[in-house]
Amino acid sequence: MATALASKRSVRINGCVAAAQAAKYADVDVITAYPIRPYTATMMALAQMVANGELDAEYIVADSEHSQLSIAHGASSSGARVFTGSSGVGVQFAYELYSPISGSRMPVQMMIADRTLDPPGDFGSEHTDALSTRDMGWLMGWSCNAQEAFDNHLMAYRIGEDPRVLLPQMVCQDGFFVSHITSDCDLPDSGQVKEFLPPYKHPYPLDPRHPVSHGPQIMPEQGPPLQLERARAMEGAMPVIEQAHEEFARIFGRRYDPWVEEFMTDGADVVFFMQGGHAVTARHAIRHMREDGAKVGLVRLRTIRPYPTDRVKEVLSKFKVVGVIETNMSLGCVSSGGVLYAEVCAALYESSERPLVVSFMAGLGGEAIVQKEFHWMTQKMLAAQQRGGLEKRTHWVGFEE
Amino acid sequence: MSTKGTHIPDWLQVPFAGITPAPTQAKGQDLFPTGNWRSIRPVYRDKMPPCNNACGTNEKIQGYLDLVKRGKYLDAYALIKEDMPFPSITGRVCYHPCEQACNRGQYDEAISIRAVERFLGDFGLALPRDVVHAGPSNGKKVAVVGSGPAGHSAAYQLARMGYAVTILEKSPKAGGLNRGGIPDWVLPQDILDREVDRLRQLGITIKTNTEVGKDVTWDDLTRDYDACVLAVGLTEPNRVRAEGEDKDGVLYGLPFLRDIGMGTSKVKLGPRVAVIGGGNTAIDCAREAFRQGALEVTMITVEASAKDMPCVPEDLHDMLEEGVDLLHGRAMTAVLGNGRLEALQLRPARFSGAINASPIAIDREAPAERFAADTVIVAVGQHAALGWLPAEFKTDRNTIKVDQFGRIGGTNVFAAGDVVQLGTGQPLMVVNAVGDGKRVAFNLDHVLRGEPLRPRMPPVDVIVDLNRMNMTYFPRFERVKQGALTPASRRLSQDEVILALKEEQAVEEANRCFSCGTCNACDNCYLVCPEPCIIRLDRSNGLYKILVDYCKGCRVCIEECPTGCLEGVPELDFDTGVVRMETAFAITQGLHGRQAEELRLLPQRAAKEID
Repeated sequence: MATALASKRSVRINGCVAAAQAAKYADVDVITAYPIRPYTATMMALAQMVANGELDAEYIVADSEHSQLSIAHGASSSGARVFTGSSGVGVQFAYELYSPISGSRMPVQMMIADRTLDPPGDFGSEHTDALSTRDMGWLMGWSCNAQEAFDNHLMAYRIGEDPRVLLPQMVCQDGFFVSHITSDCDLPDSGQVKEFLPPYKHPYPLDPRHPVSHGPQIMPEQGPPLQLERARAMEGAMPVIEQAHEEFARIFGRRYDPWVEEFMTDGADVVFFMQGGHAVTARHAIRHMREDGAKVGLVRLRTIRPYPTDRVKEVLSKFKVVGVIETNMSLGCVSSGGVLYAEVCAALYESSERPLVVSFMAGLGGEAIVQKEFHWMTQKMLAAQQRGGLEKRTHWVGFEE
Repeated sequence: MSTKGTHIPDWLQVPFAGITPAPTQAKGQDLFPTGNWRSIRPVYRDKMPPCNNACGTNEKIQGYLDLVKRGKYLDAYALIKEDMPFPSITGRVCYHPCEQACNRGQYDEAISIRAVERFLGDFGLALPRDVVHAGPSNGKKVAVVGSGPAGHSAAYQLARMGYAVTILEKSPKAGGLNRGGIPDWVLPQDILDREVDRLRQLGITIKTNTEVGKDVTWDDLTRDYDACVLAVGLTEPNRVRAEGEDKDGVLYGLPFLRDIGMGTSKVKLGPRVAVIGGGNTAIDCAREAFRQGALEVTMITVEASAKDMPCVPEDLHDMLEEGVDLLHGRAMTAVLGNGRLEALQLRPARFSGAINASPIAIDREAPAERFAADTVIVAVGQHAALGWLPAEFKTDRNTIKVDQFGRIGGTNVFAAGDVVQLGTGQPLMVVNAVGDGKRVAFNLDHVLRGEPLRPRMPPVDVIVDLNRMNMTYFPRFERVKQGALTPASRRLSQDEVILALKEEQAVEEANRCFSCGTCNACDNCYLVCPEPCIIRLDRSNGLYKILVDYCKGCRVCIEECPTGCLEGVPELDFDTGVVRMETAFAITQGLHGRQAEELRLLPQRAAKEID
C-alpha cells in the first residue's frame, strides 16, 4: 500500500463527532444544518471545523428541515458533495424532499441520530423516524458505535456517488446510545480516504455553461420508466455495496459484512435479529447466557435498504427461533408491533426450513434494553423452541410476566 | 431481483432521471410537453381600436401612433397615407371623431391624435418625394369631378391602383372645399397647394376652370372615360327666406369664404357684422369677419345654447376667445333698411325636431327684435348644383342617387362626398368625404375589373371597455397641449392659429396611446411567461409565437397583456393541437398507447404558429 499512514490516529469520540469527522474526511462541499437533538452535536462539531479552517465547506443554516433538505437537493444538483442530518420529527418535516432527491438521483448524505417521534417530546432513541422514510429510495443502514458510524459514512458516500447507483444515503445511529457515548475510534490518514473515495461527479450537474433541466414535468407514461430505473439503481447498489466493503477492508483494515453481522451464532438455536446500538448490550448479554448454556446468538442487520432478502433468508434459516427486537413502531402492522418482523418473515417465507419468528417491542422511547430483558426474551424464545410454537406473535418487553 | 429482465421500450426511453437539455427559445422543453395541462389557450387576436373605427376613413390610427412612439415616422406616414391622401390637411381641419372615441378619454384625456397626424402630414410634405406611387397603368381612364376632399381622395386611390385620372374642377384653383371652405388661418394655402402638387406627382391631370354641365357635358363624361366619380360637393348656400334677403350687405357663408380662399374676394365688411347659423361654417365666417375688418361680430343661432351648436367645441372656444358674441334662440325674419342692410329683424325660434336639421319653428306672435348691423353673413348650410345631371339620378333631397356602393344605377358612374351624404345622417365633414371617396374608388375598381362588390362589414369587435385591458400598465398623463397664437394677435391676421407639435411632443403624445386591443410588441407576454413558451420573432411588428405544446394555460400572459390583445380561448374550441389531460387519463384500452405515440412525435413536429 502506497499510502502513508503518518496522520492516522486513535481518538475517543462519540457517534455525533464520528459522523462529523467522516464528513470532514470526505471533504464535503456543502453542509446544511438545522438544530434538533440529538444530532445537533454533529453540526456543532462541523461548525467548529469550518470556523477553525480545518474544513473548507459552505455551511448553510436553514430555516427548517424542509429548507435544509431543499438546499441539500439544490447543492447536490450543482455537483457538490453534500452532508446534512436530522433527528426525530425533524426527519419527518423534510419528508417531501426524500422522493425528489432520490428520484433526481442526487447522492445527498444524511446523518440520522434517532429520536422518538412526538408526542410527547421524548428525545430518546427509537428508529421510527428514519424507518418511516425507508421506501423513499435512500440507501439506509444503522451503525452500533462511533467507529462503525465513521466507517459507514465514508462507505455510504462511495456507494451513493457511484455512477452505477447515484442514490442518497441515510446513515443512521441510535440517539444517545451511539450519538452521545464515546468510544475508541481510529481516524485514518487523509491519503487513505483519497484512495477510497474518488471525487463526486454527477453526470448532468446544474451548470450555467451547460444548461440542463432537472425535474421537468412529464407525461403519465413517462413516469414508469423512470421509476423502473430508480428500482434498478437500488438493486444495482447491492454489488457496489459489497465491493465498497471489500475495498474498505483493503485500505483501512476493518472488515464488515455489508448486510448482517453474526455474533455467537455457531450452534445457536435461537437468535436475536436487530439493528443499531442495542447490539452492544445484546452481545454482552449473549456472552453471559452462553456461559449459562443457552444456545443464543445475535444477527444484526447492517443495511436495511437495499434489503438483503436472500442473505437474511439464508442466515436465519439455520435457527429454530428468531426474536426480532424492533426498536421502532409500526402501529397496526402485520405483527401489531414493528417494521422488522414483516421484513424478516417475508424473507423467510420461501425458506424450506422456516424458524419461528417472534417480535419484541423493546428499546422504544429511548429506553435501554437491559440485560435482564435479554434474558427474559431468550426465555420466551427457548420456550417457543421447546413448545414448537409461539406464545404470541409480539411481546411488549417490560410489560408482561 | 425484481428489475431483472425488465426492458424499457425505445419509445419510452427518457434521459437519466428525466434530466433534459434546458428549454430553449426555439423548442421550449424539448422532451416533456406540458401543454396537456391546459384548459384555455392564449391567442393573439387584434381587435378594432375605437379610434380606427370612429375615423371617417378608418385611418390605422393605433398603428401610426405606435410607429411614432418608436420614431419610425416614415413608416407611420406611409401607413396613414393608405387611407388618407392629405394628413397635413386633416391634421389641421379634422373634427377628430377619433379623439371623441379614444378610450384614453375615459381614463384621463384623449390622445391628441389630430396633432400627431399634423406632425406626420408636415413630415410627409417635407420629404423631397412622396412615399406613395402611382400603380402600374391598367390603361383605363377615370374622370373625377370636383377636387374637394371626396374627389381628391378618390383620384388619389384610383391613381395608386393604376388608373389614368383626370380631375375636372370648375374653380381656377384645385382644392374644392379645402380651399374654398376653410380659412387660411386654419389651413394655409401653401399646404393645400403642396398636397395638390402631390396629386399631380401621381400622374393625375387636373383641369381647372372646367365645369360639368358647361365645359363638359354628361355625355362627354360617359363617353370619354371608362368610369367617373362625381364629387361635386355642396356649392350653393341655403337662404333663410327672410323678407328683404336680397338687400346689399347680405352675404352667404360659403361664397364669402370661397372668394377669400380663391383670392377673388371684393367684400368690404361694415364695422358691425352678424352671422346667422351655429355650425362650423358659421364659426369660420364669424372669425374671418374680424380678419376682414369687422369690429363687432355677433353670431345668431336658433340653437338655445352654445352646447347645442353642431360644431367642433375647440373652434367654438377659439371663436369666443377672439371676441365673437353669441345670441341664441333667434331666427332672422327680415332684413331691414332702405335698399341696404341697416338692421335685422329677429324673432324667438327653435328647431321643431330633435336635430338641428329639422324645420325651424318661429314664434310669429312674439314681438320682433331689431338688431343693428352693417353686414350679415348667412351660413345655414349648402345644397348641390345638379342642373346638369339627368333627373333620374337625383334624389328628392337634390342629391345624387346611388346604391350602397356609391354607384349610380348600373353605370360606371359613382358619386361620393357631401353631394351623396347630405341628409343621410352621415357627418358632412372632410374626413367622412375622404372615406367616401376612398371606398368609392375601390368599388369602382371592382366594377371595372368585373369583380363582385362586397357591402361594408361592421367591425366585429371594437374594444371600448377598459376592463378588457390591464390599466396597471398605464400611468395617468395629461395630453400634450398644442400651442396657439393669442386671441389678440390672431384676430387681425391670416396666420395659422394652432401651432404644430414639436417632434418630442408628438412622440410623447403617441406614447400615451393604449394600443387598445392590439398587439404593439410590448414584450410583456414574452417576459411574464413562466415557461419559455412565447417566442419573439420580430419585435417591430408585434408578432409572437406561442408554443402550445408547452403552454400550460396559466393565463399570466393574458392577464398581463396591457392592451387586451391576448385572449383565453377554451381548449375545447380547438379540434387540433396537443393531447388534453382529460383524454390523456382516459381509461379506454389502447387509447393511452395511441396518445403516447402522438406525444412521442410532438417534439419533432414544428410548433404551430398562432396568429
